[in-house]
Amino acid sequence: MRDIFIEEAYRVALENRNLYFLSADFGAKALDDFREDLPNNFVFAGIAEQNMVDLSAGLALSGKQVICYAMAPFITTRCYEQTKCVIASMNLPVTFVSVGVGLGYDHSALTHFTPEDLAIMRAQNGIEVLTPCDEESALAITRLSLEKPAFRYLRLERKPQPPIYNGRFTPAVLEKGFCELDTGKGLCILSCGYLTHKALRAKTSLSEKGMDVGVIDLFRIKPMNGTELAKTLEKYSAILTVEEQLLEGGFGGAVAEVMVDNGVIKPMRRLGLHDGFEVVNGDRDYLHNLYGVDTPQIVAAAEELL
Amino acid sequence: MAYAELIKKSQWFRNQLFEMVVSKGKGHIPSGFSCSEILIALYYGGILRFDPKNPEDPGRDRFIMSKGHAAASLYPILADLGYFAEEELECYTQVDAMLGMYADIRIPGIESISGSLGHGLGLGSGMALAARHDGSDHRIFIMLGDGECYEGSVWESAYFAPHHKLDNLVVIVDRNQLCIMGRTDDLLHQGDLAEKWRSFGWEAVTVDGHSYQSLFTGLECIGKTEGKPLAIIANTLKGKGISFMEGANLWHNRMPDKEQAEQARRELATNCITS
Repeated sequence: MRDIFIEEAYRVALENRNLYFLSADFGAKALDDFREDLPNNFVFAGIAEQNMVDLSAGLALSGKQVICYAMAPFITTRCYEQTKCVIASMNLPVTFVSVGVGLGYDHSALTHFTPEDLAIMRAQNGIEVLTPCDEESALAITRLSLEKPAFRYLRLERKPQPPIYNGRFTPAVLEKGFCELDTGKGLCILSCGYLTHKALRAKTSLSEKGMDVGVIDLFRIKPMNGTELAKTLEKYSAILTVEEQLLEGGFGGAVAEVMVDNGVIKPMRRLGLHDGFEVVNGDRDYLHNLYGVDTPQIVAAAEELL
Repeated sequence: MAYAELIKKSQWFRNQLFEMVVSKGKGHIPSGFSCSEILIALYYGGILRFDPKNPEDPGRDRFIMSKGHAAASLYPILADLGYFAEEELECYTQVDAMLGMYADIRIPGIESISGSLGHGLGLGSGMALAARHDGSDHRIFIMLGDGECYEGSVWESAYFAPHHKLDNLVVIVDRNQLCIMGRTDDLLHQGDLAEKWRSFGWEAVTVDGHSYQSLFTGLECIGKTEGKPLAIIANTLKGKGISFMEGANLWHNRMPDKEQAEQARRELATNCITS
């Protein structure tokens, strides 16, 4: 998914020398062509995320289109103050590309987890926050970012993800900000990114048990399309959100805010990381099981809600 | 402008800034008084290239007040030069006024928001890189405080410009040796700042920041550094010109009472700058 973004940025930069790609010592094989063929447009900021964001502001104020690229934990918390003071405060069109969000760096543990990135980044003034779940949605979101520069935070997976949309991620879906992947009337499961795959697997299990479940991929967390989402949720009897974030300020909290603001009051449950979660060694699936967000636990929570 | 006129401008500036700040009870007088001569040399001494009638001119030099608590010091100068009406100074910090205690890019002549320390050097380095790539000969000037140099982000960015040979970038450090809690060398020793900049690959010179003759020996190095960015360490006195504010950390953002204000006005009636 990360390579989709880099390859597309390279393609655009070959024609548009106004596009600058900044990295805080975070590479990728797909980035090698960019670095070699467009040395002026690739800027190594140092292992120095604060410098990267300040540089990006100076470039943007000089009329450049800028991408800041780093591992998720470092492009968020490490330079949060820079993002607030020089990007958000001047509403500069800088794209933040964050790789390995949530528990994506599973074996690297807590310093590399971002269980708070949704909470903090959606609190940046004027930002747009997007989380694709497959290569098709990643490409569409990448093209949006490159064609219509704005202050955006893109939450990408390190590795390619299996297809979900299969041609359904249309411009209308992109505009809407979410997609009802499976329609139901009983329970609606909402998620984004990596966990949308698990939500769909849970839906399959629940359907086999005769339960009426819908799944929404809520890929644009901010600005959330509250009016349309409220209309879609109205027909369901209960809501279940699933995330790899701490529940405080996370994905489920964002959904709850919009539901309340739009007068949608339903039984609701949020699955995610609880305060004080234990940090252990293990792969992402093991961690999902430990933290209660894997497919069987989504199914169990759905059954309780229904 | 000749030295004698610059010296006169120093006295004019201190009185303007003092009255603007004291009339509303908001702002930072001593921080502005430590960098007064630096600002006047840049704006009136033929250093900065600018056109107040065309503040967005792509070829203009950029000045960034990274020590943002002194950004309001620019207002009397920008008004005097014609960036905006002098009446705006009377509305300073008032509801819906253009001029706030900290500056932002809505104000003609202001290139970047400031207030939080440690952003100006990285931001200016991005501007300098863009200028280089665009083939433009405009320069980027950044004013840092010496207390600001405690911020790690300053030194993250200090690596960048020498590597890219950005000799279109000039840093001026207002070395007043004072931050809110006391003297920098008592609180956390800063050592030889010029040597620190040199060790990062910068050309560095040290000047007396209250002497135009000395300041211009530093400013004359601009464009002669053979691929190196330039750091000018300007030794200054925080609060210069008002005796009870000079070198007194507690006056960072304190307002004088009526009696103190009268004393300050009496002192400002005499020019504290002589060379």
